[in-house]
Amino acid sequence: MISNFITMNGYGLYVWLSFGIVFISCAVVYLKTKKTLKKYEQEFLAELKALTLEEKNKALENSKVAQQILATSSKAN
Amino acid sequence: MHLSLKRELIYLINIKMFKFFSSSNIYFVIQRLIEFINSIFFLILLIGLTFALVLSPPDFLQGDAVRIMYVHVPSAWIGLACFSLITLLSVLNFIFKIKNFYFINKSAAPIGLLFTCLAIVTGSLWGQPTWGTWWAWDARLTSMLVLMLFYILYIVTFKFLKKEELIIKVSSIIAIVGSINLPIIKYSVEWWTTLHQPASIKITGSSSIHSEMLVPLMVMLLAFLLYAALIFLMKYKTEIIRIKKKNIKRN
Repeated sequence: MISNFITMNGYGLYVWLSFGIVFISCAVVYLKTKKTLKKYEQEFLAELKALTLEEKNKALENSKVAQQILATSSKAN
Repeated sequence: MHLSLKRELIYLINIKMFKFFSSSNIYFVIQRLIEFINSIFFLILLIGLTFALVLSPPDFLQGDAVRIMYVHVPSAWIGLACFSLITLLSVLNFIFKIKNFYFINKSAAPIGLLFTCLAIVTGSLWGQPTWGTWWAWDARLTSMLVLMLFYILYIVTFKFLKKEELIIKVSSIIAIVGSINLPIIKYSVEWWTTLHQPASIKITGSSSIHSEMLVPLMVMLLAFLLYAALIFLMKYKTEIIRIKKKNIKRN
């Protein structure tokens, strides 16, 4: 039964290769997207940290999104 | 009168209809959606794979090669759906100049390209055991290849053009021209004699696929859609940070 499942009655190579290619490609795209997102988040935080306290407060006051980025990243860390 | 009506319409679209996307809570909303998708994705994928690889019956003609359908068909549908969305939003952006559409399109295009490529590759792997060839210059296959080229062209404009105004114009033109190919893909199997089989699933009219195969196909489609949504949200989130980063520099 297991060998039937692996060979798929002679179509195993095509079936497993199709599923394999799909899942590997999707995993690569997912990891790459996640890495880019993390990079941008860290760069944003670094720029925010480089500001003076007054500038930082002004930036956070003006942008709710900036507050949220800061909040979610500190929660993740 | 006409002008004020148009202005009012733009206002309504900007303020009311798309409030969700322009809301200042968007970053939190995206974060919650990502967490929600992450929590259910693997369960749905596992159910889909169990159905697709174990529980669904082999086809009486194609045997177990039919299982490729469970990754090939959802990939092709998402590839087509993404380009349809990009075209629709490009037209709307052309008329109403809503910048959010530009970011949505920029985030959706790589997903569409990925799934179009996967549809072509898995189709080729399905073609070899059933038709005896990896590739044929058949109407359906060729039109899918054209779609892939339009996706590449579309993404290249974001990479190589610098001015945002120009990017919006050029990418919108590419999307609108490329949309001509969408009905060709859909009806290619009816208009020409092709190796590719006609549609088994119809929105209007009865489908010729058995429920034992339709259920796994729909579960796999759901898993693929969740994956596409996850990547889209992550890319959209990246775009938001990119804009905010620019704004910090400006301040």
